[in-house]
Amino acid sequence: MLYLSQAIGRPVRDLHGEPIGTVADLIVAIGDRYPPVTGIVVKTNGREIFLQWGSVTSLDAGGATLGTSAIDISKFQQRPNEIRLKQDLMDRQIVDIDGRKVVRVNDLRLDEVEGSLHLVAVDVGPSGLLRRLGIEGPWRTLAHGLHRDVPERYIDWEDVDPVERTIASVKLRVPHKGLAELHPADLATIIDQLSRSDRAGVIAALDDEAAADAIGEMEPETQVDILEDLEPGRAADILEEMDPDEAADLVADLSDESRVEILGLMEKEEAEEVQELMTYGEETAGGIMTTEFVAVPATLTAAQTIDRLRELEPTAETIYYVYVTDVENCLVGVLSLRDLIVAKPNTVISKFMYDEPVAVRTDASQNEVTGVVARYNLLAVPVVDADGHLEGIVTVDDAIDTLLPQPAKRRLPRLFGRSGAAER
Amino acid sequence: MKAPALSLTPRAVNRVRIAAILGVLGPGLVSGFADNDAGGITTYSVAGAKFGYDLLWVLLISQIVLFFTQEVGARLGLATGQGLAGLVRERFGVRWATFMISTMLIANLGSIVAEFAGCGAAVTLLGFQSWIGALIAAVVVVVLLTRGSFKWVQYIFVVVGIAVSIAYFVSAVLAHPNWGLAASSLVIPRLSTLPAYWVAVVATVGTTITPWGQAFIQSYVADKRLGPEDLVGERLDVGFGALLTNLIGAFIVVACAAAVFAVHVQVDTNSPHAVEQIAGALTPLAGAGATVLFAIGLLAASFLGLGVVPLTSAYAACEAFGWETGVDWRMREAPAFYGLMIFFVVFAALFILTVPAGSLVQVMLTAQIVNCLLLPFVLVFVMRLSADKKLMGPLVSGRFLLTIGWLGTALLVVLSLTLVATSFLGF
Repeated sequence: MLYLSQAIGRPVRDLHGEPIGTVADLIVAIGDRYPPVTGIVVKTNGREIFLQWGSVTSLDAGGATLGTSAIDISKFQQRPNEIRLKQDLMDRQIVDIDGRKVVRVNDLRLDEVEGSLHLVAVDVGPSGLLRRLGIEGPWRTLAHGLHRDVPERYIDWEDVDPVERTIASVKLRVPHKGLAELHPADLATIIDQLSRSDRAGVIAALDDEAAADAIGEMEPETQVDILEDLEPGRAADILEEMDPDEAADLVADLSDESRVEILGLMEKEEAEEVQELMTYGEETAGGIMTTEFVAVPATLTAAQTIDRLRELEPTAETIYYVYVTDVENCLVGVLSLRDLIVAKPNTVISKFMYDEPVAVRTDASQNEVTGVVARYNLLAVPVVDADGHLEGIVTVDDAIDTLLPQPAKRRLPRLFGRSGAAER
Repeated sequence: MKAPALSLTPRAVNRVRIAAILGVLGPGLVSGFADNDAGGITTYSVAGAKFGYDLLWVLLISQIVLFFTQEVGARLGLATGQGLAGLVRERFGVRWATFMISTMLIANLGSIVAEFAGCGAAVTLLGFQSWIGALIAAVVVVVLLTRGSFKWVQYIFVVVGIAVSIAYFVSAVLAHPNWGLAASSLVIPRLSTLPAYWVAVVATVGTTITPWGQAFIQSYVADKRLGPEDLVGERLDVGFGALLTNLIGAFIVVACAAAVFAVHVQVDTNSPHAVEQIAGALTPLAGAGATVLFAIGLLAASFLGLGVVPLTSAYAACEAFGWETGVDWRMREAPAFYGLMIFFVVFAALFILTVPAGSLVQVMLTAQIVNCLLLPFVLVFVMRLSADKKLMGPLVSGRFLLTIGWLGTALLVVLSLTLVATSFLGF
């Protein structure tokens, strides 16, 4: 085991033990689970030379020993997937995927894995900090005397995602694979901790759906910032993947210019849906409803309805309720998934549907919607216009948002207010 | 796929509009108003009351240096989206970062003590014991912490800033100052070899340009997620903020010069009457109510400082060391952040309790001097970072800005050395 800070600045000796310089940096190839060390940067006579790892016979806290006496510096070139540990990672910010936060690298831990030296973990704990400050020893003695531990904290390299700026010196796109697997809410938390350009980098690496999910979890001001920083075409793609009700709220907050531009680039159908939703007041049932629900005619049988569900499921926000409409799209009944499954396949749904469905009007206040959802224990409540046409549904998660007082909603570590973003 | 940095550029073209400029008006303005905290008001008052118009030239110079240092700070925030402490850690390593943070924390601790002293002095003017002031200050910090949002504090800053400036402006006009002398003093330095003179000079500079102000503007710009395309608006903002803060300072000096200095009141900053004497600057406006008006202004000014300095300090330290920052974490999740805040409050409160009420003005002045002495250590990092092409991209300091920046830093070093020379070596 070796910490990078223990090797940096130590002497490099050639085959005969003659000092030729000091260790300036190590180079690793990223991509593998634990990146192998592929080169060493030696500082000699005030300049840096790169050496292949193959020419190094040993490296420890005492320094490096080379297997040659003649240095061949001509062959080595830093490849695109290689990074310099000290220059690109030390003291930088990284994303701790497991802990879901952005932390700073105190030191890097190298270990022999299958006979060669690999980067295995990032030291983010107090012991690493003390080691870098050169006071780890005395501190430990002191702590020992007081019967205290010096906390150590490492993050396995596998759980690390370097933020974009960290390795800006290298022309390399960070895959952000680990990030993409996080829950959207956690991803949103992390993205919110990043600076603007890093954020753009993470969003760029995500697919449209993952980006849409993560953006959906963010605060309105952050959503607007991110969307306006994106290239309009990409912003349109991401909006199409979002729930229409969320997309509508977001689009409504955009600047006039961006709104026109981005809506113009969206698929016609999706853009119209969003625009329609935007016409409702933000604090009304129409403003928080989604248009992605399942509605079927009363003449279908239970089996046909289930088939229809299979077709529609990918876009519908909830399938626990199936709404039944007449030819004029008026709401005439509702079925639960349970009703459908227990019914005989050939029964026409009008026979067993609940034909006095609870619904709210598009102009009903948010509180009213929440009240209805709570009173009837619904997972979603249908929204109808003045003539009884089914316009959308409000799902329980959107309904209870209004119950949360503002400060209790996700608030991220931030010192300063974000009023500027909203005013802009 | 596009490189992430490039995705920022499409907006750059159409962003320089009035609305965009108004949108970024903020960080510099807030920072400027926050400069006139308890230490600021007291220092300007003492400068005017003890030396009349003589120190106005210092205000002009510190205004220029303030503009350029704040401009660099804002530019660093715009270009990197990071705070100062984080950048120093990345660019110069953990040891230099620790050095800078320690320097800054000492200076900031001084400022926090000054805010507590301001509260103490204000309540003694109103006839209470000074410990009540310390208690009020501690409560304010706790309230700000639990409220978390900085948004509403901004508006308070601006309102208090404007109210204070109007009060002093009116009072200055009513006192019939020698406007001609004031104007000439602004551009013609009247030097002196008196140690007290240089103490006042250094304190005046130290209260205007501060280590925390440097960290504050950069973090604020970064946290507002402003980017390179906001450069023009941000420069206007910073310029406006620097102008306003010094205009207020100038009116305080003029009011004190006309209403206190001109009537031959000898202000001794170590006497219990010092606060009452400098409050006299508001007599032309408020008559017998001047003391109360000054006390209220001083209290509000202390709150301004308490709203930013402790948070900015804890924020900077945690940023550099990668600890959880911010009031949205619970105590157990962010022990360093809360630990620092608690340390600041407890230290400042205990300090004020041990200081006799008569020395509160001296405590505030000393804190500003400490700020000025430590400032160059912070500015050296700022200037070096701003010259880093790789870090700053197109926003890198050109030769002109860099020259001015280093000249300003050098000037501060010279000032500090002069103070040391006159005070301790007796030249």
